[in-house]
Amino acid sequence: MSASVVNMLTRMCATIKPAYVWLSPMASSSTAEQKCAVVESTEEYKYVERLIPPTKIPTPPLHDGPAPSGWRPPSVTPDLPYMVRRSRLHNVPVYTDLTHGNRKTTLLRKIEGDIWALENDVKEYLVQLTGKIPLTQVNEVTMSIRIKGHFDKELKEWLLEKGF
Amino acid sequence: MMNMFRSGLNVCCLALGKRLSSTFAGESALPSNLLIPPNLVEVQRRLRPLPTDSVPVLHKCEAEIARHLRPRQAWLESLRSRGEDQLGVVELHPDVFAVHPRIDILHAVEVWQRNFKRISHAKVKSRAEVSGGGKKPWAQKGSGRARHGSIRSPLWRGGGISHGPRGPTSYYYMLPMKVRVMGLKVALTSKLAQDYLHVVDNLEMPTPDPEFLLDIVRHRQWGESVLFVDANEAFPENLLQAAAGLKMVNVLPAIGLNVHSMLKHESLVLTLDAVKFLEKKLLWHDSRFTPLYPFRLPYSDFP
Repeated sequence: MSASVVNMLTRMCATIKPAYVWLSPMASSSTAEQKCAVVESTEEYKYVERLIPPTKIPTPPLHDGPAPSGWRPPSVTPDLPYMVRRSRLHNVPVYTDLTHGNRKTTLLRKIEGDIWALENDVKEYLVQLTGKIPLTQVNEVTMSIRIKGHFDKELKEWLLEKGF
Repeated sequence: MMNMFRSGLNVCCLALGKRLSSTFAGESALPSNLLIPPNLVEVQRRLRPLPTDSVPVLHKCEAEIARHLRPRQAWLESLRSRGEDQLGVVELHPDVFAVHPRIDILHAVEVWQRNFKRISHAKVKSRAEVSGGGKKPWAQKGSGRARHGSIRSPLWRGGGISHGPRGPTSYYYMLPMKVRVMGLKVALTSKLAQDYLHVVDNLEMPTPDPEFLLDIVRHRQWGESVLFVDANEAFPENLLQAAAGLKMVNVLPAIGLNVHSMLKHESLVLTLDAVKFLEKKLLWHDSRFTPLYPFRLPYSDFP
């Protein structure tokens, strides 16, 4: 993908920048070196500029409620001892993991504040949901919580409802 | 004989008791040769009072701050006089100067900085490289001695080394860019948290005198070593001259700021331009795409 974009850019540059204009195509072959002159045109470079990609992830436009894609912006900062920030692509940072072929875990990242309070709330919510106390693992260094089992959809919905 | 031994034991016990009591009594019981002269006693480092609301805020963060976070505040000082010269308060972005203290990342970056440019030149000769040893020292059978094929075998004295270090070895590796960025943020955060990060308006000094700079460092308790960081490489002549002969004072442009230098120096003095530069560069990583192609190639909004 990246190689193709770069290729395209360089090719565009090569084709657009030196525009050859034939001054006298019907002239005799005796003045071969005067036949053509190079005219550099920077006018069409705007079409190249249009292709150069940005580095910054744009901030999502303001929506009333969910976007057509179903994405929801974070609402007012909830009055809780913890905070879960959005990922850099503005999604809720809940991820699933599958290791050893059958070890299913859910990872909650980008937590700030009292991580143990969040763990308690997650446990309470999952007990209501499944009727069993889930196995959780709190990492205070990386500020993340790992939960046994795949609960990504439920936890994302739950965090969105809380306003994160 | 027994008596002597007993008396010796008694003296020993007495001495022990005295030492024990002296440790409980404190420094006053120290012998005179162990007492530190008063001019060498380290002055207790006093933490500066945090700015209050009445102090004018001279600089606010250009980037947007997340709603649940507050900007950190630091005094804005100058190098124009020896004494405390607090002009006002600057606000520092919490996503750069107040991140979660990931000491593990700090360590990873420090180890990487030491290793990635290391070339180990350790090399020893193998049995093939030691000269000689081509001829079989004695016949395989019949001599009554152990069988050997070469006098340079690793078993022999003066023979080659088996499994020794081979030639120049590169220890080059690269940490992910996001980890390196996080390392810088954690280093800046910890310097600020330890009150070893100072912000100055610029690095202009009235004189090129090293004593003047040393006086500032001592009086403001900037610690044993200071790193001055400016946004660009055009440092004022006075500071360069003053710092040239001082081993404890170094200057660095912000583009070269790194974790090792920050940890090596006790305090870090940033100019306001350097703060803006660092915030712009480091916050960009929080909202950038994974590179489509290398960043040295054109992008429309590369900072």
